[in-house]
This record gives sequence, structure tokens and C-alpha cells, in this order.
Amino acid sequence: MNTVITVNLNGNAYQLDEQGFESLRAYLDSADERLAGNPDKAEILSDIEQAIADKCRRYLNPHKSVVAAADLDRILAEMGPVESETGGSAANSERQRMAADNSQSRKDAPRRLYQVREGSMISGVCNGLAAYFNVDVTIVRIVFVALTILTGGVWILAYILMMFIIPDATTSEERAAAHGEPFNAQQLVDGAKERYAEFRQQSARWHEGWRRRRQLRREKRAAAAERAFWRGERAHEDVGYATRVLAGFMVPVFTLIGAALFVVVIIAMVSLFRTGGIFDWALPNEIPVWGAIVILAIVYQAVHMPLRAASRASYEASVGQRHGWLAAADGLLWLGFAALFFWLAYLFIPEVRSLFESVPFEWRHPLDAWHAF
Amino acid sequence: MATDEKFSSIRKGLLEFLLLRIISADKVYVAEMLERLSATQFATQEGTLYPLLSKLRREELLDYDWRESDAGPPRKYYKLTAKGRTQLAELNRYWKRINTTIEELGHSE
Repeated sequence: MNTVITVNLNGNAYQLDEQGFESLRAYLDSADERLAGNPDKAEILSDIEQAIADKCRRYLNPHKSVVAAADLDRILAEMGPVESETGGSAANSERQRMAADNSQSRKDAPRRLYQVREGSMISGVCNGLAAYFNVDVTIVRIVFVALTILTGGVWILAYILMMFIIPDATTSEERAAAHGEPFNAQQLVDGAKERYAEFRQQSARWHEGWRRRRQLRREKRAAAAERAFWRGERAHEDVGYATRVLAGFMVPVFTLIGAALFVVVIIAMVSLFRTGGIFDWALPNEIPVWGAIVILAIVYQAVHMPLRAASRASYEASVGQRHGWLAAADGLLWLGFAALFFWLAYLFIPEVRSLFESVPFEWRHPLDAWHAF
Repeated sequence: MATDEKFSSIRKGLLEFLLLRIISADKVYVAEMLERLSATQFATQEGTLYPLLSKLRREELLDYDWRESDAGPPRKYYKLTAKGRTQLAELNRYWKRINTTIEELGHSE
């Protein structure tokens, strides 16, 4: 026994079985979608419905009052997919037409590079690249590991940079764009089901212990957000792809500027301590050294705060929340930049070099000093 | 297959022209158009035809009126408007020029 659904096709009542009803609805939905923006959409749809109704009649007789799913499939194949008039074609075979149609809409859907968190190992960079180039993620991972070994670990830095620069696919449209798939309702539903199952599994396995801590952190962050007036709005929800790429790009840039600033301030501080001035510039007599240090600290804070705020805003525009991996990577990146700048300053600025050399030996080699005890 | 693909965009463009020609001969309804085209390289389907017809109507090249049929509901019978006839005449001339050009350039095997 099967359920029968009665449909109204442009004023004609027909009885379809459930499966037939589903395929008819899918056909009309896609027609509706493709005719979007067509001023004669309503008329074309009613013509189409009428044509389907006429064809249905052929499959009915006094002893058969229900249009079977197989009949309906044949009817819909005969109708052919509804094309927007700009793409109107006279392709010969159904299959060729369908193939062309598919590749067309596939081409039309923009494919973009995103980090895809689902099924990722670290951050989803490899996953996103795999989706983008349409290759197996395992191959991308092997290439990444090989590159890491070949470059002596430098490739990890590239990975970290990509973590910042490539936006996360957070919405379903973005996830679809990561794969270059045209986005429609059916895929949304399928994807949602899949993701929900995955999410449940994952959350059961990984998130149990984290949840409480994260909750606490989130509450703290919310409170901080209220206090911090310079942080600006959380624009993450409605910023476009380009903005997010730019924001992702800006995060390491801000980190770099921050590290450079830190190095400059530290060198200036040491210089103040050692020489009572900043390199060639001597302190005016009325300002004591400790006063100069306090002023320097205040200036540093004044410059550093808006920088940090800007960095945080970029961070949020790019990846939304500040999650553990990226925050840790950001810290590492900062340390790396700071060390690099210290080294560069030591190499290329003679004043810094002489300053460094004027520092007592025990400061420079704490380990040796330790052994000397 | 290769030739078929090569000319698919040409067929696409010509379908409109052919429809105008079919409709100019007689008032026709969609099932007839499909049948006339089905035997040719221009075979097409309702899914393509209805949007195209509505576009031509919006361009005021054709119009339709409802006519009762012996079996089933009333049908739309399409006919050319004056503007449609002028355009068809132009297209006919253009098509002849194209044909001449093709034949003048090179020899067919």
C-alpha cells in the first residue's frame, strides 16, 4: 500500500504516488529557481505545469487513476530542465543537456579557498586546499609533511600564515564555495544532516571536558568586550570574503608591527638604563632616568593598545572567535618576529650591538653566570 | 559528437530564428512546434521552449490567443506580430548572406 498525493497542476487535479510527488516538486523547485528574476516567471511556470498535466493524462486510463513515479520520471525527462532564456539551447540528447547543465552551474558557482574545519586535523588548511583543487586531502597532507621535512620545518611557518590568511568556512554557502558546488536547498539539507551527525560525534568525544572552561572563557570575554570601548563592533557576521582575506592577512601584519614595537621599546629601555639616554639623544637634565622609563612605558602602551585592538578586530573579522590553536600560533609568530628583530638589530645597527656588548657578561650569558656560582 | 558540440552554440542562437519561421507559416501551439523540431537537429523540449517563447513575446515579436481544443483544456496558439514579421524578414536576409559567405570562402568537400 502506498500513499497517494493529489496535486493541482495549473487547475488540473492529479494523483501521484509519494516518490513521484517528490521528483515533481524537485523539478518545479529547480524551475522556480532558474526563472528567478524572469518577469514572466508565473506564466512560464503555469505553462510548464499545464504541459506536465497534459502529459500525465496520457498515462491514465479508466483503470489507472494514479500517475506512477516511473511515469512521472519519463514525463519530466521529456520536458527537459527549464532553462533561463539566456541559456536557452537546443541540445539534442537529454544526457548531453544534463551534463552541460551541470558543468555550467558548477562553473558558475565561484570556488573559493577556505579553511574547512570538518574532518580537519589541525585547522582545516589542507582540507580547504584539497577542496579547492579537488584532490584527496591525504595527498595534500602528505605534500605538506614532505615540504615540512624538505624545508627543515620552515613550511610550518607557511602553514601558520595560511591559518591566519585563509578565512574559515563558517556558513553553509562558504562551505559549498570551498568545494565549488552550486548551492541549493537540497544540498543544504543533506549537508546539515551530515554535519549534525558529525558534530554530535565530535562534541561527545572532544568537547566534553572543554565545554565548561570554554563557557567560562566566553563569559569573561563578553564582559571584557563590554568594558573595552576600543574594540569596535563584531562585524564578523556580515563581512565579505575579500574583507576576511584582508583581515586574515592583517593579523600577522599587526603581530609583526607589535613585535617590532616591542623590540624597539626594549632596546630603548636598555639604552636608558645603560647610558642614561636613548643612543645619541641624552635625557634633558630635569628628567630622571626612572621618569623617562615611565614615560616610555606610557607611550608604548598608548601605541600598543590601538594596535592590539586593531589586531583583535581583524582576528574576529577573519576567523570569528579566538580559538586555541590560532591564539597559540599567534603567540609563536610574535616570539619569532621579536627574536628576528632583535637579531636584525644586533646585526645591522652598530649602536644596538655596542649596547648589547656593554651589557655585563653575566646578563648576556645567564647560563655561564649560573655555572660560575 | 565533436561536430555536434562545436555547433551547439550556433544551434542555440538559431532556435529563435527557426521558431519565428515555424510560427510565421501558421498559427501553432507548443506541442506542434516541438514535433516539427523533433525530427531536426534543433530538437528541443518544453523546458527550453516555454521560457524562450515568453522572451519573444516580451520582445513583442509574437503573441498568442487561447483556442479550445477537441481534447483537453484550451491551448495557446502563437502567431507573429507585425514587428515579428519585420524581424523575421531581416533574419532571413541575414541568413542568406551568411550562407553566401560560407560558400564563397573555401570549397566544401
